[in-house]
Amino acid sequence: MKEIDDFLRENKPQVKDNPTFILEAQQRMEEVEGIRAEVERQHRHGRRALIIALAAGLSLGVLATAVAFLYPVDASTLSQGVGQSVLLFLETWRQYLLLPVALMGIALGLLLFSRKKV
Amino acid sequence: MTQERFISLVRAEQEPLRRFLLALCSGNAALADDIAQDALVRAYVASGSFLGLSKFSTWLFRIAYNCYIDHSRKARPEQAPVEEALNLAGSDASDKAFRYQQLYLALDKLPEKEKAAIALFYFEDRSIKEISAILGMPQGTVKYELSMGRQHLKQHIQL
Repeated sequence: MKEIDDFLRENKPQVKDNPTFILEAQQRMEEVEGIRAEVERQHRHGRRALIIALAAGLSLGVLATAVAFLYPVDASTLSQGVGQSVLLFLETWRQYLLLPVALMGIALGLLLFSRKKV
Repeated sequence: MTQERFISLVRAEQEPLRRFLLALCSGNAALADDIAQDALVRAYVASGSFLGLSKFSTWLFRIAYNCYIDHSRKARPEQAPVEEALNLAGSDASDKAFRYQQLYLALDKLPEKEKAAIALFYFEDRSIKEISAILGMPQGTVKYELSMGRQHLKQHIQL
């Protein structure tokens, strides 16, 4: 085995000089950075859209709850129509309105105070 | 890790890394460099997870070895790795060229683990412990692979 040991130690493969090797690697890393930046941008965009949607939902939910509790309507006096149907719906389900509002508030809070992970 | 820091570390390791992959690719320099580039991209993407628990070169070689394994699984029959060695012998019929031809032909016949263990131990002068970390196998297994690799090489190399 001594001969094979010596043979291997004396005949290490020789790599040819490749001056562009590091440059190519750098170029690929720049491409990786470009992809990372794009992914981060899309992530930020999605996060912002979600925050806006939740904030809008929360505001409307609070408004609807306030209307339902502050201005109770008598269901028997309501006639047909879209507006009347909405009022009737709020009147019927007003004790449950706080649930989705609270859920949206919690989701919004989590989203705003959690660390950004990109 | 910043890109500049990563590049500076890679600059110091590029020659050993390329030589290791050249041995794994049995003398196919273009393929070895391609795999090295892939390995560097993978390493760069994962550089945030490098905790410094091992040496940077050990970590990089491990990634390069995994890249080589992935590549060889994907494109096994495609290569004619000995070609370059034969060209080398054809253009320069020196004794050295003949020995490289013999070496690459012999390496090409070895299983991947034996080839990697031989390359790291003899060409990169790595310790058994480092080889164990790079190849992800126990030190006893590395010694076994080295022993088997030597035996197999002896069958294919005329000394």
